This record gives sequence, C-alpha cells and structure tokens, in this order.
Amino acid sequence: MAKIIVVTSGKGGVGKTTSAAAIATGLALRGNKTVVIDFDVGLRNLDLIMGCERRVVYDLINVIQGEAGLNQALIRDKRTENLHILPASQTRDKEALTPEGVEKVLETLSQEYDFIVCDSPAGIEHGAQLAMYFADEAIVVTNPEVSSVRDSDRILGLLASKTRRAERSEPPVKEHLLITRYDPNRVTSGDMLTLDDVREILAINLVGLIPESEAVLRASNQGVPVVHDMDSDAGQAYADTVSRLLGEDVPLRFHEYQKKGLLSRMFGGGRR
Amino acid sequence: MSLNMDRETSAFTFKGGMLPMTVMELTSADPEQIRAQLAGKVSQSPAFFQHTPVVLSVEQLDEPHLALERICAVCRAHKLLPVAVRGGTDPVKQSAWALGLGWFPPQEARPRAVEDTSLAAIEPQPEPQPEPAPASAVGRIYRGTVRSGQQVTAPEGDLVVVGAVNPGAEVLAAGSVHVYGPLRGRALGGIHGDRQAGIFCQELHAELLSLAGNYKRLEDIDPRLLNHPVQVQLRDDQLNISSLG
Repeated sequence: MAKIIVVTSGKGGVGKTTSAAAIATGLALRGNKTVVIDFDVGLRNLDLIMGCERRVVYDLINVIQGEAGLNQALIRDKRTENLHILPASQTRDKEALTPEGVEKVLETLSQEYDFIVCDSPAGIEHGAQLAMYFADEAIVVTNPEVSSVRDSDRILGLLASKTRRAERSEPPVKEHLLITRYDPNRVTSGDMLTLDDVREILAINLVGLIPESEAVLRASNQGVPVVHDMDSDAGQAYADTVSRLLGEDVPLRFHEYQKKGLLSRMFGGGRR
Repeated sequence: MSLNMDRETSAFTFKGGMLPMTVMELTSADPEQIRAQLAGKVSQSPAFFQHTPVVLSVEQLDEPHLALERICAVCRAHKLLPVAVRGGTDPVKQSAWALGLGWFPPQEARPRAVEDTSLAAIEPQPEPQPEPAPASAVGRIYRGTVRSGQQVTAPEGDLVVVGAVNPGAEVLAAGSVHVYGPLRGRALGGIHGDRQAGIFCQELHAELLSLAGNYKRLEDIDPRLLNHPVQVQLRDDQLNISSLG
C-alpha cells in the first residue's frame, strides 16, 4: 500500500508545485516507486516543472471519466527511475474531479507504488479539498510571511476535519511543515518572520527549510526538479527534507545568517 | 385609591408554590437504626445536612404507632428539619399535628419499589434534571490549537481552551472564555448577554475581545498589555483589561 502525501498550502505562489516535484523526485532517487499527481485542474504546472509538458496525452480527468486507462495517462520521468507523473487537465472543468473517481485512481496506484504525492491547487475549494481528502500525510508549504502563515493555519484546520481519516475517526493525517523561500538575511533585518515565529503559530513538526535560491527559478524554467541540482543550497535542502520524510534525523541547515567570507565575495561563490 | 388602601391593610397574600422537597422514605421505625444510617450519610456528604427540610414518609411502614417524636429528634440532631409527615394511620396523623408538623395523605398509585437505600434516595431530586451539575459548570473544554477559520463555541457555560487561539479563529461562550495559551484570534464571552462573563488568557494578542456585545479591537488595546496574561471584565459598558501577572 502506498503512502499518500498531499503538498498543500492554502496560499498560492509559495512553492507547492516546486516542492511536490522536488520531493517526489527525491523519494524516487532514494529507490521508492513514486507517482506525483497534479490536482490543479485548469492551471496545470507540474508537467512544466517536471519537464514533461511535451509528452502529455491523457490526464487525470480522462482517467476518471474512463476515456483513457491509467497506464496511458502516466508519464514516465526521463531522468529518474521509479518516477511517474499524472498530469492535470488544462481544459476541462474542475468539477469533473469527483471523489469516487479520485478514490479509484488512488486505490489502483496504491497497489503499485510506494508513495503517491498529490500536488494540491491553491485555495480551500473543491480541488484542494479533494487533493487532501485521501491523504495519509500532509506537507504544508509556508513562506515566512503573515498571510502565508494564516492560510497554512486554515489548511491545518481543514486537514483535521475534512479528510477521510478525520471523518472515519482514524489516526489523523500526519502534518509536516515545510518552510520555503527562507532568507536568513531578511529575517535578521526583520523583513521576514523568523523560523520560530512560524513554528510557534503553526505548532507542527518541521520537515524542512528551503532557502530562497536562484537555483529554484532556474530549475523551474529548465523543467528539472531542483533536487537534481545537488550543488545548490535548495537542492540539498530538499534532499534533507526527503530524508526526514523517510524518518531520518538530519540537522537543520541554511537557517542562519552567514557572513560572506573574502574568498566567496571575490569569486562569487557560496549561495547559488 | 382603594387599591392602595387594600395593599396597606393586607399583611400577606397566599400563593401556590411548588418547592423541591426531600422525602425521607422510612423503611424502619426504629430510631436507633435511623440514627446509625444518618450518621454514615453525614460523613459522606456533609453539605446536604444543613437544616434541610424533609418530609417523613411512613407509607412503607406497617406500624400503627410510631415513635415520631424520637425519630424527629434524631433527624434534628443530624441537621435535618422534619416539616411534615406523609401517610400512616390516624394516630400517626394526630401525633404529627401534636408535634407541630404537617400531614400529607399517602401518594396514590405510586410504584412501591423503593429499593435504593443509598444516598441518592434521600438526596433532593428536583424533577427536571437535564444534566449532572459538574457538566454545566464548565460548558466545554477544547484541547489543541484553534486554527484560522475554526470556530469553537460553548453555547452554555464557560469555554476553556487548552492551547492557542490563532489569528482568524473565533472562540465563543455563553459564560467566560479561558485560554491557556496565546489568544491571537477573536474571543467573545457572554454571547447571550451575561454581563458577569470575563475573558482570561495567558498571552493577549486578540484581534477582537467582546463581552455581552461590548467589544474592543486589537487597535483599541493598550499596547503595554499585549503579550501579557490578562483578564477582561465588563465595567460600566466598557471592557476593562487588567494584567494578571
């Protein structure tokens, strides 16, 4: 049986899709059979981030409506073994996403995969609720700023009440906090909330901290999940996150302000 | 005018009333046995024996003559005040009157099985008893973080939150609101108009405080009180926030 992980946030633009792509890739690189599903019907992006936009023929809605088989819609990742992508529909009405249909797809995938990563759309409407409904674990992506923290708080409330586990009174969805776009320099100068501020309000286990990094934008535009770029701080931070998801104890990195040394200033090294 | 005069001349009025009354259902006429049982009950719940009026019911006894005076003395010695006797023969009625007690006829068509001789049998039992007393004293206890968009309500009594109330969350109570943690959302006490209700929290950063419809916004709160333990009370239609530290 696969573990179903939803990547969600409430707020848009905080890095859900980037994180879903990086974490799914990271899990696959560690030898886990992984599928990542885009639930953002009408605003699909995951295929771009994963660099497989030219190979999309069928999508999740086609499968749910019986117009295509699951194997026809699944796209095998070119770089990573064990990794498949199930894209969302860009044209269909998002109401076509039915709970019964999603359940059936997840059940089928569960037989074959170790991890199912669900990339949730922003907001708290139908699509977002469906993406989280069947989840065993949730990664709540949060930026260190007040509106993102409040939206994450809202999502955590929904995870505790509007999921299958909550409705069946099963053990609750395991919640993980993933802080993205963290800039220690701006935290020090007071522009950003500190790590402790965010953790105090959301009061859930921190699974990772991704520093603000040029590598992320570069990775998105190239369609290569940033976790492949192990020279970059963001790539390493996502790799740490995946290790923690797998239960390993990894010390936190990239959360402290670092003065640039003379050499790195001269040669422009350090953060890339 | 005549109405006023009438009022001045009358010393009292008679009114019908239904008062809760404890009935002491006697299953023995032996004063010593009663004394022994009462002594045990007093130690179990001393609060009950505070000159509590009781009606002695002798319906279950088959004795034509009762040592009523001695039974009454035993009761008074244990701070129970016999006020009347129910049931029994004509001599019992006469001796009740002689002792200055009232007499009630036996209750008709009443199930006879009163097997319960425990404390519950002698405790006052007002007929409509919806909930046990401890449950209504504290309306609701909520453990955990109240998150943005969530609403936790105690429609009766107080609300106790053991955890944080986050921004965008709302906690409401008919009585007082107690937050054992930071209060960062909205807290409304006395939502049915109870002006005695208060709000208590360990760390004040509330978006809104309201008691019986009177409110203060975060902006109106003295910044020196922010992030401190406080209590909020209603005084002259104004919310009064004072430090608890």
